[in-house]
Amino acid sequence: MYNYLLRRLGFLAVTLFFVTLITFAVTNVLPGDVALLILGPNATEESIQALQSQLGLNRPLYVQYADWVVGVLQGSMGTSLRFEEPVATLIAEKLPRSLMLATASTVVAVALAIPLGVIAAVRQNELPDVGASLFGFVGISIPIFLWGLVFILVFAVWMDLFPTGGYVAPSEDPVATLKHLVLPATSMGFALTAYIMRMTRSSMLEVLSEEYVKLARAKGMTRRVVVLKHALRNAVIPVITVVAFQFSYAFGGVVVLEEVFFWPGIGRLTLTAIQSRDIPLLQGCIIVVALIYMASNLAADVLYAYFDPRIRYGGDD
Amino acid sequence: MADESRPETSTDADEPRPTAAIDGSTAGTDDRPAVRTDGAPERGLARADGGTTATRTGGGPGAGDDPGDDPGLLPISAARRKRLARFVRTFRGNTKAAAGLLIVLSLFFVAAFAPAIAPYPIDQTNIEDRSEAPSLDHPFGTDDLGRDIFSRVVMGSRISLYVGFGSITGALLVGTLIGIVAGYYGGLVDELLMRLMDAAMSFPPILLALAVMVVLGPDLNNVVLALAFVYTPYIARVCRSAALAERNEAYVEAATARGESDARIIGSEVLPNITAPLLVQGSLNVAFAMLAEASLSFLGLGAQPPTPSWGLMINTGRGFMETAPWIVLFPGIAIGITVIGFNMLGDGLRDVLDPKVDAIE
Repeated sequence: MYNYLLRRLGFLAVTLFFVTLITFAVTNVLPGDVALLILGPNATEESIQALQSQLGLNRPLYVQYADWVVGVLQGSMGTSLRFEEPVATLIAEKLPRSLMLATASTVVAVALAIPLGVIAAVRQNELPDVGASLFGFVGISIPIFLWGLVFILVFAVWMDLFPTGGYVAPSEDPVATLKHLVLPATSMGFALTAYIMRMTRSSMLEVLSEEYVKLARAKGMTRRVVVLKHALRNAVIPVITVVAFQFSYAFGGVVVLEEVFFWPGIGRLTLTAIQSRDIPLLQGCIIVVALIYMASNLAADVLYAYFDPRIRYGGDD
Repeated sequence: MADESRPETSTDADEPRPTAAIDGSTAGTDDRPAVRTDGAPERGLARADGGTTATRTGGGPGAGDDPGDDPGLLPISAARRKRLARFVRTFRGNTKAAAGLLIVLSLFFVAAFAPAIAPYPIDQTNIEDRSEAPSLDHPFGTDDLGRDIFSRVVMGSRISLYVGFGSITGALLVGTLIGIVAGYYGGLVDELLMRLMDAAMSFPPILLALAVMVVLGPDLNNVVLALAFVYTPYIARVCRSAALAERNEAYVEAATARGESDARIIGSEVLPNITAPLLVQGSLNVAFAMLAEASLSFLGLGAQPPTPSWGLMINTGRGFMETAPWIVLFPGIAIGITVIGFNMLGDGLRDVLDPKVDAIE
């Protein structure tokens, strides 16, 4: 296990280098001169050059890159051109909201997927199984923004149960925060349900065929007790790894989800950065989202390796 | 030539190989599912020997004459009929794959005959009839500019297919090349290429696509490029592990011993044997790419008006949700059905082709 982790971390270092390189490369080939964008079309040649040297844009690209990476490592990612505030401060404010949204989505997905997966396993190949599988397909196939819009129409506009969008800080009014979370988290949760459900189902099927489950049944315990107490408790372990993967998926999808629900997180911040050509802010948003996405995927990988006896942790393939 | 190059040990195993070489890759992929089905219980790969096939298929029309399956010995039409029969057999046993295939084929039909099916020109505006509810004249209603939504949804199928297949074809070309080189050569080449792929996969797909779109500028063709870029590493990873498994197979060793060049071994020995995982990954990625296009267009960074992209139609209809929900609803249903089709097809193919999944479920 130790060697395995060490190897993973070695890979991670190389991967991280490439991640910063891709982020920097993509944001630096953006059309449009930053200095010109700031100063407007009527700027003189001298003032553009002055600003370029002030922003360090006339230095060689590799110097700019090195400078940026060192900054990121120190937690400083420059100043946003649009908000004229440190990028790190802006991200620190928005990021927790996006993490909250991704977490809530995962919670909704787990709450839907585990019961559905258990029912599907217990009634294998019967109507509930087929129904659950169909629900899973519909969930992953309908874009989250469409779920979002439909939910807004039905539950916010027509039934007036929840707000149509926006965000309230939990420190102000925790109940309002929850109310604002329900619709976006459910929209995203639907997209996450399928994989967790499928994993629960196959894991349950495996456990249900184990000897101790048969023994418990033979000892006269009711089916309900055996399924919920004995089988589910053991079946749920591999499901945890899928949940971790789904969390990263949810986090990766917040750009779209936040736009639908006007949720002021890092996703909308990224869109703002794109629309206003705010390169330092865009670089910061992309690298932070990528790091978190990567970290949660890594956590899922490690969990998977930990729980799966077929994966060996030795250095040899 | 193809016959001579086939090693003794796996003659019966690789029977679709010459076909793939003659008929092109599409014909090859038609072959794969059936072969895999037959071989599945024993081994993951195309090792179908006549005996297994006969017992598995219960003496169906194809079973008895399987050993004589070499299309080189049969007239073309017979070989083709045989392939069709196997193809049908593959899908008959798997409702999910069959349903997916049906949806996908219907979509192709709609896209092919879209101009004939659509009752109105897609850009014909009519201010008097704007935001009209569905009626006999306009089965899906009209949008905020009075354009017929049914016609736009029908024509939109072309956009969705173009982006889905265009981008994944690109990703398959580049990803297969990267994956097969990494898997076949191993060592430092493998390490570097795969770390680069890992890095690209460290970005959430939508975010990476957005970033690339910002660079390229909002345009439908750029969406295809951006999504090809985004999905390349996923293909490469699948391809690499498949190629890695094939590398040590006897038929590759035999080809090496005969002194065949690496390029030839990769192209005519390894590649035809890893089409199954690529087919599964490809069809699932088509579904993802279609969803991603819808998302990009929804965010205003994909297709631009007046392109009848379903995502873009939803984006413009968003402001009229309360008064005219059909503007959003019908393109939405179209996306849903289309993506379900590709997901079911990919998933069903995986059940059929991949023995590991069989073992779990």
